[in-house]
Amino acid sequence: MNSLERIAATVQFRNADRVPVIAQVFAHAAKLAGVRVDDYVRDGETLARCQLSALKQYGYDAVFSVMDVNVETEALGSVLKYRQDRYPVVEQYALSGTSDFSALEIPDCRRAGRCGEMLKALCTLRSELGNEVLVVGCVMGPFTLATQLLGMEAALYLAIDAPSRLECLMDFAAEVVVRFGQAQLEAGAHLVLVFDPSASPAVVPPQFFREFELPRLRRVFQALAGSGALASWLHIAGPSGAILPYYPAAGANLACFDYCVAATKARDRLPATCLTGNLKPMTFVEGSPADIEAEGRTLLGDFRDRGGFILSSGCEIPPESAPENVAALVKAARGDR
Amino acid sequence: MGDFAMKGLVRAILEGDCAAAASQAEQLLHSGASTNQIVVNGVEAAMSALDAKCTLQEFNLLEIMLAGRAVTEVMKLLYPAGAPRTDTKGTVVVASLEGDVHDLGKNIVRMVLTGDGYRVVDCGKDCSLAKLIETAEREAPLAVGISGLITSIVPQVRQVKDLLTGRGLNRVKVLAGGAALKQSSPARLNVDFVAESAFDTLHYLEGIAGARNE
Repeated sequence: MNSLERIAATVQFRNADRVPVIAQVFAHAAKLAGVRVDDYVRDGETLARCQLSALKQYGYDAVFSVMDVNVETEALGSVLKYRQDRYPVVEQYALSGTSDFSALEIPDCRRAGRCGEMLKALCTLRSELGNEVLVVGCVMGPFTLATQLLGMEAALYLAIDAPSRLECLMDFAAEVVVRFGQAQLEAGAHLVLVFDPSASPAVVPPQFFREFELPRLRRVFQALAGSGALASWLHIAGPSGAILPYYPAAGANLACFDYCVAATKARDRLPATCLTGNLKPMTFVEGSPADIEAEGRTLLGDFRDRGGFILSSGCEIPPESAPENVAALVKAARGDR
Repeated sequence: MGDFAMKGLVRAILEGDCAAAASQAEQLLHSGASTNQIVVNGVEAAMSALDAKCTLQEFNLLEIMLAGRAVTEVMKLLYPAGAPRTDTKGTVVVASLEGDVHDLGKNIVRMVLTGDGYRVVDCGKDCSLAKLIETAEREAPLAVGISGLITSIVPQVRQVKDLLTGRGLNRVKVLAGGAALKQSSPARLNVDFVAESAFDTLHYLEGIAGARNE
């Protein structure tokens, strides 16, 4: 089995030759290659080259065209600050609580901001890897994009002070996410990760997720699946236990769970959903290869009788992680045949 | 009337109803309640109730932000500009360190500590170590609190304790929290305490204040 076949089988709970391993390596790939993070997130060819080089070094089962959480908001007019060797941050949000959300226009998701560079990275990755290794694109969840357009505090206050206005903005965000995701699939992504950190129960109550975000996520996943996505992958970090039962209704058949959610809880709440997780990201910085291998083996044991599991970290592997720790994650999965 | 209005203030803060909280505080002032009574029996009682919810893990940022906004409105009413609060439980300096521009977590800590009667000096986000240490030297706080959402600030966090000691500020406790830092430990970060939440910070400070008063 190659990596893509292994992941496709695992997502569908079919037998695979081993448990797949996806290291959430984003800017860590730049660090490995000696490339500055601010260059990595602005140049699609550089991003693809770093991802291919990291794949060659580690031998895991997926590569990512992930820049940072600000690609869509920049394309919609937010002003970013690019800092040397760091991820960019929003310096000025595109919208405020008093903006006219009904007048917003969908940007050209093939050219606006850095969208074109991200698509270029996907195109290169797919042409180099074909159908051997999973090529993953990335969009923000509708609520996360709303928070990136307004700022977190303004978005949260709007949820309470003017919920219908927030819903209007989230509908617009969902449409942007669909168009950008479809462009990524056309460019070569096998699937598009929906990254939705702002929808975590650490930020908003589960009821908010159910009433506001779930219907829009359903729309996004339906559209992406209809455009050929291999799977519908939802990534919400933090203490997501309370919202896991809603994931199938959102259309997700592949879900991340973070280090603070017990594997048994994730299994119980999502019995028919492929799960991926959940080593603590900081362990890749502070821990040893022995720590990673031991935690990896425990997780593999937790899912041995069930299947539908991909070994990974709970969230991004920090850029400054020790390479021997990332290698240890891969070793744990490869040794578990 | 006083007791009823006090309960109304607590409920308004817990529900995050900014306008109702300010209105209840105003009513209490007019009915003769002292500022201290409103703070202790209203604002701090509401913070304790929120703390209990936090312990039960029925807790999220939205809820605490709304309560924090209501507390801020009440405090503005009780302590108008030019009349700063003097009867505080002590001073805490908070910051997000250089390279980290995420300050929501820090702002939540500021709200919680202020609501519970501490004076908080906020060094802001993207704060240099030099500025943090200078502020601590000037303010002589009970503690310095560092909030961190990204792992790359860890090397800076590790220096804070030694820099404070170098200035003779051995008694100032160093606290860390936030999504990235709470994955680590006090020993690895070279700090006195790693908080899981804003209320965890509050409990630790109560312990320090208690020990110093004994």
